[in-house]
Amino acid sequence: MTSALSKRVLDEYAAVRETLPAGVVSPKRRQEAIETLIARGLPTTRDENWRYTNLRPLERARFAPIAAGSAAIALPSGSDLPSRLEGFARYAFVDGIFVPELSTPVDAAVTIGSRLQGTRRAAAGPASVTHLPQALPALSSLPEARLALLSEAFATDGAAIHVSDTAGAPRVELVFIATAGADAGASYPRVQVSLDPATRLTLVERHLSAGANANFVNSSVKVDIGRGAHLTHYRLQQAGLRATWLDTLAAAVASDARYDLLTVSTGALSARSTTYAQMAGAGAELTLSAAALGDRQQVQDNFALVEHIAPRARTEQTFRGIASGRARVAFNGKIAVREAAAGTDSRQSLRGLLAGPEAEIDVRPQLEIYTDDVRCSHGATAGKLDDNMLFYLLSRGLSTEVAQRLLKWAFLEDVVSKIALPELRRQIEHTLAGQMADAASLKELL
Amino acid sequence: MLKIDNLHVNVDGKEILKGLTLEVPTGEVHAVMGPNGSGKSTLANVLSGRPGYEITAGTVSYQGRDLLALAPEERAREGVFLGFQYPVEIPGVNNVYLLKAAVNAARKHRGLDEVDAFEFLTLVREKMRLMRMEESMLSRGVNEGFSGGEKKRNEILQMLVLEPRLAILDETDSGLDIDALKVVANGVNTLRSPERSLVLVTHYQRLLDYIVPDHVHVLVKGRIVRSGDKSLAHELERRGYDWVAGEAA
Repeated sequence: MTSALSKRVLDEYAAVRETLPAGVVSPKRRQEAIETLIARGLPTTRDENWRYTNLRPLERARFAPIAAGSAAIALPSGSDLPSRLEGFARYAFVDGIFVPELSTPVDAAVTIGSRLQGTRRAAAGPASVTHLPQALPALSSLPEARLALLSEAFATDGAAIHVSDTAGAPRVELVFIATAGADAGASYPRVQVSLDPATRLTLVERHLSAGANANFVNSSVKVDIGRGAHLTHYRLQQAGLRATWLDTLAAAVASDARYDLLTVSTGALSARSTTYAQMAGAGAELTLSAAALGDRQQVQDNFALVEHIAPRARTEQTFRGIASGRARVAFNGKIAVREAAAGTDSRQSLRGLLAGPEAEIDVRPQLEIYTDDVRCSHGATAGKLDDNMLFYLLSRGLSTEVAQRLLKWAFLEDVVSKIALPELRRQIEHTLAGQMADAASLKELL
Repeated sequence: MLKIDNLHVNVDGKEILKGLTLEVPTGEVHAVMGPNGSGKSTLANVLSGRPGYEITAGTVSYQGRDLLALAPEERAREGVFLGFQYPVEIPGVNNVYLLKAAVNAARKHRGLDEVDAFEFLTLVREKMRLMRMEESMLSRGVNEGFSGGEKKRNEILQMLVLEPRLAILDETDSGLDIDALKVVANGVNTLRSPERSLVLVTHYQRLLDYIVPDHVHVLVKGRIVRSGDKSLAHELERRGYDWVAGEAA
C-alpha cells in the first residue's frame, strides 16, 4: 500500500535522482533507501513513537533537496553566525551544502575536502573532516530510521569526521544554516562521526536559520565510537520559529567507550528528534542529556531509544522540558536491556514543566528488561512551578515574572550544568534566557 | 511601625486568628510566644502576604500604610522581611543570584541604581563571616542540601544583606543547637537599631536569652492573651502555657 505521501516522495525522487551527487551516496544506496522507506511508509501520528510529533508539514513539504546555487538560497555572512568557540575548527553548511567561505579550520591537523571543488583529501592528523559521508551502515536495520532513509535518498552533502590519532583532542564545530523556504525544497544536513579506539573528540553541532523563511530540514547523524574512545557532542537546535526540523541520530558505543551527548532545543515550529544509541560493547558509557523549550505554538518532540546489548554498560538519561504558551514538549525515553546485557546500570530522570494553561508536556520513561542483574532507575514528573519556591522568591522582593523565569531557569540546570565548555555554556545560557521572553532580568544574573 | 488591629484570619474555612491586636513601635523588638496551634505561623505568613490565608476582619498597618493591600513582593521591597520557619530549597537558583536580585529589586523600588557587583560581594562576604557560613555556599542553590541550621543562618544572612525595616522571624530558633543559636542571635542583634523593628515568633524562651526583647506577647487560640516585659518569657518557661491558656479560657 502506497499512501499519497509515499507516492509523492517517490515521484520527487524519480524527478531528481539523476542530479543527486553519486559521490555523497551511491545511486544504489539511494535506491535501496527509498525502497525501504516506501515499504515501511512514512511516519504517521498513529505510530506510537510519533504521536506527539507535528507531521502535518510533511503533507506540504517538497522532499527534493534545494538545488545547489539555487536563487532561493540566501548566503549568510559571517556575522550571521554565532561567535566562534576558541580552539574549534568550524565547518559551515548552508541549506545542506558546505560553504568554505564561512568555514575556518584552526590547524592543519584537521582537514576538509569539498566535493564541489573536487579536492577531497585523505585523512591526516588527529581528525579529518570531509563533508562527504562515508557509507552509513544499514539504516534499514535500525528500529526507527525512516527519516534518515529519506535523508540517504536525497542527500546532497554532509560532514564526515574521522579521528584516528590518540594523542590529540580535536574540537570541531559544525554549523548548519537553513535559509530557503520549504517551497524551494528540503535541506539535508548530514554528519558522520567515527572515532578510532582510544581517541577523543569534542563536537559542537548547531542548527540555525538565517532569515524568516519556513525551512524544511531533515538532519541525519551517525556516530561510531571505537573501543575506549570518548566523544563529547553538543547539539543545539535553534532553527527559525517557522521551520520544520526533523532529525535522526544513530550511535554505536564500543567497549569502554564513552559518549556524552547533550542537546538543547529551542527552535523550529515543529521539531522532532529521534535518537538511537546502541551500547554495543562491555563497559560502554552514555550520558544523554536534553533540554527543550517550547513557546507559542511550538512542538518539541523527542524520542530516544538506548539499547543495551553488552554487559556492564551505563546509561544516564536526563531530560528537562518547559512548555509555555500553547506549546507541546514531549520526551519519550526508552531503555531496552537485552539478554546479554547483564550488569547494566541505567538511570532516567525526565521532567517536564508546564508554564502555560494551554501548554502540554508529555514525558514517558520506558524500560524493557530481558535479563536479571541490572540496576535501572527511572523517574518522570510533569508539573507546574512549585508554589512554595515561588512564594519564597516573592517574599524576597522579586516580581512574579522574574521569579517564574528564575525557577524555569533553575529547572534546566540539571542539563545546563553538564556543559563543560564555559564559553559554550554562556552562549547556551543566553539562548535559553533569550527564549524566555523579557530576558533582561535573567541576563543580569548570568 | 506595625499596628495589627482585631485581625481575624481563616485557613481552609477554619478561624485561626480571632481578633489579634498588636502594636510594634519603631526600634523595638517584640516576641510573640505561644503553644503549637496558637496561630503564630499564621500571623507570620499573613504579614508576609502568603496566599491561602483569608482575612475576614481587622487591619494591619505598616508605617501608616495598609500592609494587607500590598503584594508579597511589594511588602519585601518596602522593607518587610520574613525569616521562614522552613526555608525552601531551590536547586539551580544560586544563593548569590537571589541575594543580588532581591537587593536590586528593593533598590529599583527606591529609584536607586543597581548595586555595584564588587561592593555587593564584599558586603555579602562580610555578613557571611558574621554568620559563620562557608563562602562556597554562595555558589550553591538556595538552601540546596543545607542542614536545618545552615538554612536558618542563610535566612539571617539574607536579612542582614537586605536590611529590612521590619523583620518577622518565624521560629528561627527551631532546630538549632546552642552554638548555631548563638550565631543566629548574634546576627539578629547586629541589626537592632532605633529605625528597625523585629518580631520574633517562637515557642521557646531560649532564643530570648540571646535576643532580649523589649516586649513579650503570649498568643493563645488566635489572640494575644497577655503582654509584658522579658520577665514574662521566663515566667512562661517556668509555669508553662497552660498557665496563660487557663486564664484565657
